[in-house]
Order: sequence, then C-alpha cells, then structure tokens
Amino acid sequence: MSDKTKDSRKVFKRPLRRREFIKGGIAASALVAGSAIFAPRIVRGAGGSITIGSFQDNAMAPFRDYFVKKFADETGIAATYNETNYDSWYQTCKNDGLNKTGAYDIYVMDDNWVPEFAAGHVVQSLDKLGFKVNADILPKGLEMGLWPPKSGARMKDFASATPELYSIVIIDDVEILYYNADYFPTAPETWDDIFKVAQTTKAPNLYGWSPRGVKGNPIVQTYLPLMNAYGANFVNADWSPGFAGPEGVAALSRLFSFIPYMPDGVVEYDTDQEVQVMLEGKCTALTEYTGFCQRVDDPASSKVVGKIKMAATPKQVKHGPAIGTFIASVSTGSKNPEGAVQFLEWFTSSKVQLEFAQKYGGAAVTGSALSDADAVSKHRWLPAIADAVNNSVQKPRTPDEPKMEDILGTHLNMALVEAIAAKANYDAIAQKHLQAAAGEITDYLKQQGGYF
Amino acid sequence: MSATAETLEGRESRVRRLRTAAVPYLLLVPAIVALAGVSLYPTIDGIQASLHKYRYALDVGYTGADNFVAIYNDAVFWTAMARTVQFTVCTVAIETLLGLLLALVVARELRFAGLIRVTLILPMTIAPVVVGVIWRLLYASDIGVVNPLFELFGFDAPNVLAHPLTAFLGLVAVDVWEWTPLLFLIILAGLQSLPQDPIEAARVDGASALQVFFHHTLPLLRPVLLVAVVLRTIDAVGTFDQIYVLTKGGPGTATQLISIYAYNTAFLFNQYGRAMAMLISLLACLLLLMAVAVHLMRRSSEIAE
Repeated sequence: MSDKTKDSRKVFKRPLRRREFIKGGIAASALVAGSAIFAPRIVRGAGGSITIGSFQDNAMAPFRDYFVKKFADETGIAATYNETNYDSWYQTCKNDGLNKTGAYDIYVMDDNWVPEFAAGHVVQSLDKLGFKVNADILPKGLEMGLWPPKSGARMKDFASATPELYSIVIIDDVEILYYNADYFPTAPETWDDIFKVAQTTKAPNLYGWSPRGVKGNPIVQTYLPLMNAYGANFVNADWSPGFAGPEGVAALSRLFSFIPYMPDGVVEYDTDQEVQVMLEGKCTALTEYTGFCQRVDDPASSKVVGKIKMAATPKQVKHGPAIGTFIASVSTGSKNPEGAVQFLEWFTSSKVQLEFAQKYGGAAVTGSALSDADAVSKHRWLPAIADAVNNSVQKPRTPDEPKMEDILGTHLNMALVEAIAAKANYDAIAQKHLQAAAGEITDYLKQQGGYF
Repeated sequence: MSATAETLEGRESRVRRLRTAAVPYLLLVPAIVALAGVSLYPTIDGIQASLHKYRYALDVGYTGADNFVAIYNDAVFWTAMARTVQFTVCTVAIETLLGLLLALVVARELRFAGLIRVTLILPMTIAPVVVGVIWRLLYASDIGVVNPLFELFGFDAPNVLAHPLTAFLGLVAVDVWEWTPLLFLIILAGLQSLPQDPIEAARVDGASALQVFFHHTLPLLRPVLLVAVVLRTIDAVGTFDQIYVLTKGGPGTATQLISIYAYNTAFLFNQYGRAMAMLISLLACLLLLMAVAVHLMRRSSEIAE
C-alpha cells in the first residue's frame, strides 16, 4: 500500500470536526448555487443595469443572443437575460410583480397575460412611465398591449376606463397560411380554394390539410382563422359567445369537410406533428404561427425547401388570422424603470426592427421592416406577416380567456373525434358541441361575475 | 469537599444530563422544520386559499365555502373525479395482480433471478416525464411503433391517443409498465419474509400448490399487500406527468384526472381558490381511504395474532 493511500485512509477514518463539516457545507452550497443550470447571460455596461426575464422560445433567440448584448454595447446599460419554461416564467413574473420583489425590470410575456397583469398591477403603465410609442408599429400589434382593450368586449369593472399601454409588442406572432406552391400556383384566397385542391389529394401520400387537433389551445388555434373568416366571433360585445350561430357552425363544418384529406391521428396532433407532414411534402396547406417560417427552408428538416409560400389566412367573408404576440412590460417592482423603458423603446425602434427582419427574418413589429425590399428578398414571409397582423382578430381580452379557450377547445376536440368516427352529419355535430361550449362559457362567466 | 463545590458539581451534572437528553430532540429540529416548511405550511396555506377568491392575480377576500359550492356544481370536476377513480382502480388492480405474479415467479430460486429482478425494476427508475415522452413516441400515429405493430398482425391502426377509450387504456398501460415493479418489489420482500413452517407443513400434508397459495401464502401476505395497495393508490390518484405529456387530459375529458384539472384551474385559469378546494376535497377522500386501510390492517393483524 502506498503512503498516499495510507494517508487518504487516515483522512477518511478521522472523525469529521464540526468546523470542517460547516466549511464543507458552505463550500458545497456555494458550488451548487454557482452552477445553476441556466446561468444568466450578463452583459456589463456603464449606465446602470436591467434584468429581463422570459419564457423559452426559439423566436426569442435573436433577442437573447444578439439584441440584448447590442443594447448594452450601444447604451452602456448592463443587461441580464434569464429564461425558463413557459409555465414557470408565468408564475415567477406574477409573484415578482405582485410582491414588488424587483428581481426583474422587464417581463417578456404572452399577450393573453396582459389583462391579468395590467388589472392586477403586476406590471406598470408604459404611458405613465413616459414610453414613446414608435408610430411605425403595426396598430393591431400595438393594441395587444392596451388595457382595457381599445375594441371588443370589455369587463364591467373597466367599462369606462381609458385604455393605457401596459405592454409593448416585441414579436408580431400571428397565424399565417403556409401552402405548397406545387399545388397552388397562386395564394389561395378562400377556404373553398383550399378545399378544392384538398379534394384532389390522395392519403397517405398527400393530404389536403393538416390541423392541430389536441384539446384546448391547439385546436382552438386551428378553428379561430376559420371562425373569424366565416364571420363568427369568439364573444360578442356583450360577452355572449358568438361562435354557436350559423357562421361558427359553418366554419367548423368546413374544418370537418377536410377530414377525408387529413392524416388519421389529427386528434392527437400538436404543432410538431402538424408541420412535420408539410415538411415531408405530404401536405398542400396549413395554418400556423410565424415560428414555422424558419423551418420550411432548412434542408436538415425540410424536403420542400423553397416550395412553401406564405399568405394571410384565407377569407370567406373576411380574413381572420389569430394573433398571439410576444409582448413586454416593465415590472411593478422594477429597480430601473427608466432603463427598462429605454430598452423597450430601443428594441421597438424602426432601425432595430429592420435589423431584426433583415438579419433573422423575425416577425418584426414595424411596417417598414416587414416591407423592406432587402429584408423581403431574403425572407419571403415578411409581407404575409404584415398582411396577417393587419387582418388579425384578437381573442377575448379578459383574465378568464384561458378558461374560455379550454372549454371551447375541449368541445372542439370532442366534436372532431365524433366527426372522424361518423364521417357525416358535420353540421349537426358542430352545432351540438358549439352550443354546449357556448352554454358552459356563459355559465362560467356568470359565475365569475363582471361580464353581464 | 465543601458544600459549595458539591452544589456546583451537582448542577454541572444536571446540565450535562439535560444536554444529553435534549440532543435527540435537537437533532429532530431540522427535519421538523423542513417537514413543516414543505408539507404543513403548504397544506395550511392551501386550506386558507380554498376559502378565498382570486381575481386579476389578487386575493380579493374571504368567500367562505363558495369555492367548494362551485366545484360541487361543476360537471367537469365530477367527471375528473370519476376518471381518477377509474384510473386508480384499473392501474392498482392490474399492477397488484401482475406484481404478485412476478414476485411468485421470481421468488422461486430461478437461474438469472438477479438479472430478472434488475430488468423488472428498470421502468420504475425512469422519471415519469421521460416515461411520458417515450410512450408518446411509441403511441404517435405518425412515427410511433404501435400502429405499424397492429397493422403487421392484420388489425387496423388504433391511433391510441386519438380515441377516448384507447387513450385511457393507453395511459393505464403506461402506468402499469412503470409502477408494477414497485408492487413486485414490495410483494417479493413480503414473500421472502413469510414464515416457511406453515407452508411446508401444508405441503407435507399433501396440499396442492394452489391450495398452499390461497390458504397459506395469500392470507399471510395480506398485510404486505394492503400496505402496497394503499401506497400505490395514493400515488396513482396524483398521477400527473405522464398524462400531461401524453394527452393533456384529452381527447375531450377522457383522461382528465383531478390532478390535471386542478393544475389547469390553478395555473392556467388563475383560480387558485377553486383549485385548492378541489385538492382539499381529494385529500379528504384520500384520508378517508387511508383510515379504512389502517383499520383493515389492524383487523388483519389482530386476526393473525
């Protein structure tokens, strides 16, 4: 046995002293704390600092990897960027804002958080902070940050309040139509045009439509562009559900009419499965948010490089893409609201948005960036995004929207299961489930109070 | 020795005794504090939240039993409760039977018994979320292996997650795959610790293997089985990860257990009070179930004595 081994044995046999134990504990704790999995990205500057928090999403990559650093370099304000998964981030920023902890200056949010966060004072009014809105920002995107909403149904508590800007759109994510140019020489104008081409397809080699069918938000995202296009409303101005009438039923029946031309398992399809069919060249058209643009020309994942074109979602009586922007607010407990406002003004400026569009093909929030000739020549989807945003229809602006969406999405999913099994009576199936959803939503809103 | 010195020595000795006696309690303090922090505090906070209403992310005040009344009138809550009971009964029954069967097989001194044991407990060692992802890929209608397997044997592709019944059965299968090993391990340990005398005596008296099992092994194993079933039931009622990954409670509400519905109610619909009311109702049911189980266990051991 070597001396070294003997020594080490002695060490292990020696009783652990209290001081050593405490020292070791402190060292281990420091090590664990220091090696956090998601170590924050810190960019040092000279003019104060801001902390930005966000949920993880591929669309945020340019923001995280390039623009945060660029802001620090240009302004001298140190910027820290942290991200975590969607659900955790929602709770984290809500708690941070409610308790005015001040751990974050800017929250990157989903736009449907705005009603709750603005009404609950989790975030500050940008108007009151003196935020200067860039007039180049597309109005429909800008409206997503107002509370109470500028248009549409309003909750009673806020019926007469003047809309204030609580959040500013940073990525104009919106649903657009993706179609394979091999089957559509020009962009289909109406849902009927898509159906005509679908009828020529033969499954399983080629499908006429690929939807998201999972209950809740996914199938609602499939239904909304149809519902809006057929002239129905999620809710009317008096909060009564507006999808159970003839227009909403016709829209759902149109969706069901694609069943013979859809993949078999669409009831369990979410984004990944839905778009995979198109990337394999087995689907003529689908609607999806703008994040998919970045994948259609990637040879590593797409067999249809250059063949997929984009347009605003089709109309029937009107266009009606659903909008779901990435939006940012200044936290109530922000330690540097001036720095936070400066960052948001900088990022939404026409110059930075142009770079966002040109360099990354991102869903910029300004009209000039989305129509810039150089940007469009590199990223053909930009005009479609602008067109879709301009025609977009927002979902009900209320903290209860997720529950309303869940009720509708559960019934849509059940209706799809039933329609696939029946392969007929689509109108009756649509009517039955939409009326049930409308009834449940009305009951829920009455129970919650503040609507009728 | 002077009286003062004696007094001092006596006092020191008392202090030493007191210190020695206090050590076990002091050592327990961190555990008690931790338990109170992670278990007691959330329970009390949850009960309090169930009596409050939340609006615009804010606690808007005490509402008495309103949340309990609301869930009592909520058809989706009762559907979720029913699904939870169905899921728990199906999974626990199948897992117990399979676990018992496997334990009986492995308890016999087979060749490669060690290898079999290790292989059998592998699924249990995988994180439930990972299990969900693995089975999502297996069940997927586009790239999964289950559909082609059915087609290979001349059946229609089942599209497991696309139909209410198959989705429910598919989830039961996942749970059985993951948790049968737990039942197997507990029952195997029980089998190996059974007294062999009565069993050997029965064999000598000419009892068949089935008679030995039903008249001796099973009655002796009853307390172990009861513990295993109670533990597994509590766990099955709270199943969340696999369902969240595989179906999110769909199609429709076919796989929406109370855990999923309460999670959505709290974190998606922002109704903390109502979600807490659901979970407290569930906790009450579980406590009742445990009380019955403990009573049965006591009676069983009294009979054994």
